[in-house]
Amino acid sequence: MTDDGDEGDGSDERGGGDDTERDDLAARRGLDDVTVYQPAEDSGLLAEAAVAEAHGRVLEVGTGSGWVAAQVASERDLDVIGSDLNPHAARQARERGVEAVVADLLSPFRADAFDAVCFNPPYLPTDPDNEWDDWMEHALSGGESGRELIEPFLADVGHVLAPDGVVLLLVSSLTGYEEVLDLIDAAGFAADPVVEESFPFETLTVLALRRA
Amino acid sequence: MKESLMDVICCPLDKSTLELDVDEADDEEVLAGTLTCTECGETYPIEDGIPNLLPPDMREKAAA
Repeated sequence: MTDDGDEGDGSDERGGGDDTERDDLAARRGLDDVTVYQPAEDSGLLAEAAVAEAHGRVLEVGTGSGWVAAQVASERDLDVIGSDLNPHAARQARERGVEAVVADLLSPFRADAFDAVCFNPPYLPTDPDNEWDDWMEHALSGGESGRELIEPFLADVGHVLAPDGVVLLLVSSLTGYEEVLDLIDAAGFAADPVVEESFPFETLTVLALRRA
Repeated sequence: MKESLMDVICCPLDKSTLELDVDEADDEEVLAGTLTCTECGETYPIEDGIPNLLPPDMREKAAA
């Protein structure tokens, strides 16, 4: 989640900040930009892996601004649906030309509906006493373990995935790489790293999961 | 939303089929309407071309 700077100064929005600063930012950029996670290094890595591996009908869970979904749609000419819990995000994704849905993870999708599912989960481990309870927290925080969204996602993704489908999951070393591999194994998938990049505070890996 | 989205979505509560009622559409997309679960009867709004498929309790929370 290191910020690459060319799509806005996301770092200002990250931890709480002060309210005045936020209000100024909101006034400058419009509410949707302040409340929606903007593309950063992790987005770039997920897009690279998804462009390489995706096929057929694609779902991006937690699409945020829709940037990754739009990359896959344009580079590969695939049908891509972007879903997000955050209605501001769904709106931004739609403005980018992505078919957008407001949804909680995988709950409104049919069995075997997708050939590829991409997910850059909120993964930062967060002290429960220190959560800031707004849309940006939902976009970043993976709860105390950093895996609170990864767990239900992995438990359900097999249901919506076609038999020869692939899941592209971004994992940060901050979230516990080995722990995530154990969850993947328990969900009945085998994982292959597609791209990996190290940053000063974390290593990001995109894993391709296929049924074991 | 495009009507083809109906092929991949279902009721988030019981995974049953949804029925589409269109209030407003253009050549490509449904812009406003309602999705109704054929099993439990729960309704999900489509506004500005975006269906909101959150379960009702989460929908109210998200609107806050």
